[in-house]
Parts: sequence; C-alpha cells; structure tokens
Amino acid sequence: MPMRNGLPHLLPAAVLGIACVTSFILLLTFRPHVPGEAATAAVLDAILLWDSLLPRAAIALIAGAALGLAGALLQRVLRNPIADASTLGIASGAQLALTLGLGFLPLLTGISRELIAFAGGFAAVAIVLVLSWRRGLDPVTVAISGMIVSLIAASLSVTLVLARGEYAMSIHVWGAGGLNQQDWSGVISLAPRLAAGILAAALLLRPLNVLALDDSSARSLGVALHGVRFSILVLAVWLSASVTATVGIIGFLGLAAPTMARFCGARTTGQVMMTAPLTGSAVLFLTDCLTQLLGPGFSDLVPTGAATALLGGPLLLMLLPRVHGFSAVTATADAASRQVRKPAVTLALLALALAIIFALALGLSPRDQGWSVATGPLFSELLPFRLPRILAAGGAGAMLGAAGFIMQRVTGNPIASPEVLGVSSGGGAGLTAALFLFSVPSPAIMLLGMALGSFAALLVMIAIAGRSGFSAERLLLAGIAISAFCMAIVSMVLAQGDMRSYILLTWMAGSTSRAGAFEAWTAIITLIVLTAPLFLMIRWLTILPLGTGLSRSIGLRVLPSRLVLAVLAALMTAISSFLVGPLSLTGLIAPHLARLIGLQKLHHQLAAAILIGAGVLMMADWLSRVVIYPYQVPVGLFAALIGGPYLLWLLGLKERSS
Amino acid sequence: MLTAAAALAAARTLRAQEAGPRVATLDWALLETLLAIGANVVAATELRQFRQVAIEPDVPEGVTDLGLRGTPNFEVLRFAGPDLILNSNFYAWANPLMSRIAPVETHSIYKPGESPYILAEQATLAIGERLRRPAARGMVEELAARLDRYRGLFARGDGRPVLPINLGDARHYRVFGSDSMFGEVLKRLGLANAWTGATSYSAMAPMGIETLASMPDAWIVLIPPHPEDAFATLTESAFWKALPAVRENRVLTVGSINPYGALPAASRFANLLAEGISRVRNG
Repeated sequence: MPMRNGLPHLLPAAVLGIACVTSFILLLTFRPHVPGEAATAAVLDAILLWDSLLPRAAIALIAGAALGLAGALLQRVLRNPIADASTLGIASGAQLALTLGLGFLPLLTGISRELIAFAGGFAAVAIVLVLSWRRGLDPVTVAISGMIVSLIAASLSVTLVLARGEYAMSIHVWGAGGLNQQDWSGVISLAPRLAAGILAAALLLRPLNVLALDDSSARSLGVALHGVRFSILVLAVWLSASVTATVGIIGFLGLAAPTMARFCGARTTGQVMMTAPLTGSAVLFLTDCLTQLLGPGFSDLVPTGAATALLGGPLLLMLLPRVHGFSAVTATADAASRQVRKPAVTLALLALALAIIFALALGLSPRDQGWSVATGPLFSELLPFRLPRILAAGGAGAMLGAAGFIMQRVTGNPIASPEVLGVSSGGGAGLTAALFLFSVPSPAIMLLGMALGSFAALLVMIAIAGRSGFSAERLLLAGIAISAFCMAIVSMVLAQGDMRSYILLTWMAGSTSRAGAFEAWTAIITLIVLTAPLFLMIRWLTILPLGTGLSRSIGLRVLPSRLVLAVLAALMTAISSFLVGPLSLTGLIAPHLARLIGLQKLHHQLAAAILIGAGVLMMADWLSRVVIYPYQVPVGLFAALIGGPYLLWLLGLKERSS
Repeated sequence: MLTAAAALAAARTLRAQEAGPRVATLDWALLETLLAIGANVVAATELRQFRQVAIEPDVPEGVTDLGLRGTPNFEVLRFAGPDLILNSNFYAWANPLMSRIAPVETHSIYKPGESPYILAEQATLAIGERLRRPAARGMVEELAARLDRYRGLFARGDGRPVLPINLGDARHYRVFGSDSMFGEVLKRLGLANAWTGATSYSAMAPMGIETLASMPDAWIVLIPPHPEDAFATLTESAFWKALPAVRENRVLTVGSINPYGALPAASRFANLLAEGISRVRNG
C-alpha cells in the first residue's frame, strides 16, 4: 500500500503487527492442553489446534476485515466519520431479527441466518436513514437516530429473552460475540463474502473518490449518485450482517478500523479502503488472542465482541473534533407557533387529565372475562398492588420530564434527554458494579450504585463538554459515546448468563411490577425534593440557552449554575431509571409536548413537562399490564415504543419548519 | 350477598378439608414439588413454559398462570385466592407484596455453597408436613431408594465421568457443576462429574464448545431445551465428530429438564440417564 509519508506512520502499523504476532505465538505456546493418556491427548490437541484455534484465528481476521471495510464504506458513503454497524443500528437490528427468527418462528429455520440478519440490519439502517434523510444525512442526526433505533431493537430483544425465560438466554450469550469455532464452516461461509466485498469496493473506488466531494460537484462529474450510494450501502450492510449472523455482535470495530488506518498513515479514500480491513483484522485478532490468553483454562475472559465494544466509547470521544454537523439543531426549531392565552387553565386541564389517568389505572383492569372496575372492599384490597407501581411510574415520569427539560434548556438542544446523553446508561454501569460488589444487593444499594454511575457519566460529560464549550452537538455525541461504553460493560455481564444478568435484563426492560412501598416513597419524596428547587432556578433556565457569552454578560455564573442543574438532572435520571429502566424516552417527549401545546413561560413549561411525564408513564404502566393480561410487558419498553415513533415524527417535523 | 359469601367460604372450607389448603408459588422448583406431592395448587408462574421445559409433573388445567417469573401479576394472584404462598430466595423481593394476600413461607433450594438436593429434601418434607401430604415423605424415600438401585446399576458400568451440559448455540454450552441438582444426582448415582472447575450458582456459562475436548473420558449428556439449529450444526462439525465421546458412542440426549428444579427434576434426570445409558449400551 502506498505510504508516502514514510517512517513515522509506519511505526503504529508495525507495533500493531508485532503485537498480533507476539500474542498469537504466546497463545500457541500457552494454550491449555487436554489431560489424559498421551496418545488420545495428542489427537485431541491436534483437533483443537486445527478445528478450533486456527479457524478461530482465521474468523477473527476475516470478520475484522469485513467489519473494517464495512465501516470505511459506511463512513465514506454517508460522509460521516462515526458511521459504523453499531452506531447505525445494523448490528442490533440483525440481532433482533435473529432472536425473533430463531426463537419464535421455527418455520424460518430453513432460511439462512445470513438472510434473516441482513433483513433485520437493513431494516434498521433504512429506518435510521429515512429519519435523517431530509436533514441531508447530517452525522449528528444519523448518530442519534441510530442510537434510538439500536436502543429500541435491543430492548425488544431483551423483552423477547425475558418472555421466553431461560431458553433464549443463549441467544443473548451468542449476541455478545464470542468467536469460538468448532470447524472451518464459519470461515468457509464468510471468506468468499469478504472477497466479494473487497472486489466490489475496488470497483466502486472511483465513484467513492468522487463522493468525497459534495453532491452537486459529484453530480456534475456524471456519477449516478444515488445508485452508487445505495449499492455501497447495501454492500456494507450485507458485510456487517453476515458477520453478525456468523459470530454475533462485534461492537464498534467498523469505527475502530478506519481510525486506526488513519493513525497508521492512510490519507486518501483508496488508502483508507485498503488499510481499514487490515487494521480491523489486526484489532479483532489481537482482542481475541488476549481474551483467550487472559481467560482461565479453556474459557475466555469476556466475549470478544463485548471487549471490542469497550473501544467504542473512547473512540467516539476521540473522533468528536472530526464531526461537523452542517445543520445545528437549536432550541427554537420546534417552538410552537400557537400560544396559550390562559396557561393556568391549560395546566389545570393537564392536572385533571393526570387525575383521570390515575383513577383509571387504579380502578380499571381486565379479568378472566371482560373488564371490571374495582370498588369497595376489592378496591382497598387491590390498592397495595396498584398504588405503588402507579406512583413509582408516575414519579419516574415526572422526574424524567423535569430532567429532560433541564437538559434541553442547559444544552440549548431539543433532542437532549437523559437517555440520549448517556446518563441513564451510566446508571446501568453503576448497577452492574453494585451487582459485582454485592452478590444480592438490596434496592437501596442498587439505587446508590445507579446514582453514582449516573454521576460519573455526567461528570465525564461535563469535562468533555467544558472543553468544547458545551457545544450542543459535541454534547450529544459525547452522550452517545458514554452510552456505548456503559452498555458494553452491561453486555459483558449479560453474557455471563447467571442471576446477575437476569437482574440486569429485568432492569433494562424496565418493570414496575416489583414496585412496593420503598419504590413508591422513593419516587414521591425525591420528586418533591428534586423538582421543587427547579422553580427557583427559572432565571438560570431562561438565560443558559442563550449561550455562554451572553449568559456571562448578563451576569450569570455559568459553570456553577450548569453544575447545580446537571447534578439535579443526574439524580432524577438515576432514580427514575432505577424505577422504570433506562429507555423510556419520556425525558425527551414530555418537555416537547409541553412546548407544543403552546405554553410560553418557562415555569409553566416545566410544570407541564412534569405533569405530562407523569401521565405518559402512568398510562404506559397501565397499558403494560393489560395488553397481554395476565402476562406483563415491561413498562420502560412500552414507553420507548411510544417515544421512538415520536422522535421519528419530530425529526420529520423539524425538516419542514427549517 | 352475605349468604353467598358465607356459602362460598363454607364450600372453600369443605374443599380445603379434602384437598388441603390452596397454595400458590412463584418458584418452579416449589411448583414441581407441590404438584408431585398432590397439593392443591391454585396459581403459579409461566405455566406455558413450565409445561415445555419441566414437562413433569403435569400441571392441572385449573391452575392460574401468574405470568413471567420476573414480573408476576399480583392481582391475578390475589384473585386466585390462595390460603398459603410458598416462595424461595430467588423471589424474596416479592414477599412484602405477597404477604398482603396470604401468609408467605420461604423454602429455598438453591443457596450458594449448599447442596440443592439436601435442601430440596428438607423443603419437600417441610412442605409435606405443613400441608399434611404424606406423599412428600414417600417421595423423598422412594427417590433415595431408586437412586440407590440405579447406583448398583451404574456400578456395573464403565465407571466413566459424566458431563451434563445444555447447548446454548452450536459453539457454546453451559455445564452443570457438582453444586447443581444434576451434579448432586450424579454423586448419588456413584458417577463422577466430568466438570471439576468453578461454577457460578451451579451452572457455568458460556463455555466455548472446544472445551469438550478437554474431557475426553466423559459421557456427554445433553440436556434440552436447546435452540433448534444448534444441535444440528454442532453434530455436523468435524470437531464434534472427532471427539472421543462421539466416536465411542458416549453421547446421550435426554429429555428436557428444568435445570433449577427440585426432587421431581432430580428424579426425572436419574430416570432419563439410567434409561438412556442402558439404551446406548444395548445398542
């Protein structure tokens, strides 16, 4: 490959190469040997070497190359330095399709895994691109849509796993991307695909170079732009989905490979295209050797795919300066055109609606035949089961509404929310740590772990954002990076398949059915303690979105006020994600609806966001326990299924207004 | 209204005298114990899945399904009207809520560092005493005697260790160690468990399939349920065909068993193992 810049750039490549060779030699030397009589052991050792260790090394190289190439192609075609099978939702879409296909529709077993995975991955990427199409596939929009689609797909997979009980746990284990091989069939099926992919990429090299220019100059050069883009996209999705179908999700390798390629001196499109598969191979190979070397005996330390996913977060942070969104999303973008004359009446109506939902959730439920309204002694007997979960859901919703409101004001960005900024996932990492330190932690310890996790995530966010001057887009991308990192930690524990993973799965799906007096009181007390001070901070919330310079000139101490608000938001997020899981998206929806109904004054908007958040989650909680009665859908997932389409609609709406 | 309620209560008392108190449980191990000793079970969790995975004992049609084990529906439990709820340490978080419906008694079978077989025996006897079901003692004694009988049978066998595993996919499996119910049964049958390494809570997962080669002497006992395509893909692979256990016909696929079961699961495992191994041995 052409390396015109000479020695300094060859150094990282050489280091990577030497590390790979060394670790492979170490692996061959120190690989565990089969016990027993010498003759049998020798035969078995040979089998292990030829039918397990070597195909595994080969599949690491091939899968790494395929993902590296797919990543480079996606980044080029979408002109997005953070495009990758993980950020675009391809991997989780493929996983959801496989979970569905293998677990629920046994008739599909005739169809190849590749095809199912491709369908799922392509559907996911199609949704992401449709969401961001009108915004010219702006990298920030693409990344956010990708993250939301990934979250929803992942939570649907989790729900399917939970619904099937232990049976489907294996699908999740497999989904974490262990590279174990028992013959050469994986290599045989994947290698030709990679070869075809490389060939196709080589043929598309010239149009790819043209694509590096902007659309109009590309069109004037006579390239059938959309055709080329579409075929490259299909190629990249096909490569990624094939890898997912063969070995599971290998997180963020498509992001790592081109970055490493550039680090090793690749500059032009051609160079990156040639170097990315090589670095992808090297990174996956090295990770796989290390997890085998460090694991006890024959076992791996962690699934390889989960280990590479740990790279995702830091890499995204590193790439932040390279991302230029060309249409910055601002808080005014969705300001409502209509105004409410009497905000007090509107708020009263919202409160009334909340009361009606509350009464409905408390009284009405299906029975064996038809519906029944609980009255009298029956009502008071059911109260202890219904009231805590309704209060927990409502309190969590209210806090998410307030947290989302703060985050949107502080960042000046309407898409900011606890879920998008990675604060919820930080709580997940904290919960994981608590589960490791205490085998059976009490709810209070789990809550503490989550609060600390959310804090840590938020502190990292503040540090990063502080350096980039709290630019709205940087903040969102940093949030996605932190989310990715925390979820990688969570999925490593999920892959253990023990009781801890069951607790984590339950948390991820977000269920209020366990809520008792502790959860209800936690929700109510923290809601009052944490939201009441907000109404005294309206001035900060008014000024902060105007930007750092203006805020300072008005005499606001920007950093302390942001910190106080951020700490409040982090606490509210941690507590509500403890109660309803990390993915409800209520923190996104509630403040939006508060603006959309036409409230102008900030304290009215805040109050409305709180009321709406509470109402949305109470409603979701009620629906979650009646739709497949007596089985229950996790409420967090249910709310995410409402929030996801809303985001879709919102992104479309912004397009029309701008 | 009052008379109707009184009549209902009277009918309930009458039935209670025949069939014993109405019991409900969230835990599958307790469920199978209750069913096996003929208790009057009115509600339990995930019955559809239970019928597929545990298979025995039969769940009568009248038992109410409480939903998923992780998210049981307490209102349905309340409507089922149990007199007594049995719970295990797995679902201890539900005790405060359930104790509003009926008294809750805890019988745990899986505790870190303790033998699930001994705990299952204790739980069975305690539940039998509590519900006045003499069948409980009968079951404990009969199973112990049967395991002894099988022990004699296996003593005439090849003396090889047994590796009880459950396939996750074609490349991963989980292994049941000495502290699992299957491991305990093997011990009582005089068979060695081929897996001597660490386990986390009785099963170790996921193990790479290549580790099967590190136990060349063992009988491989596959315990379903496993994914449809995993078994087919695995058995076609060169690695699988080269394994000593496969070449020497020491692989056994038994019926589906609840891996976190109590004595009925232990009994089912022992029966299937004895039957399977003698079937393989006799060609």
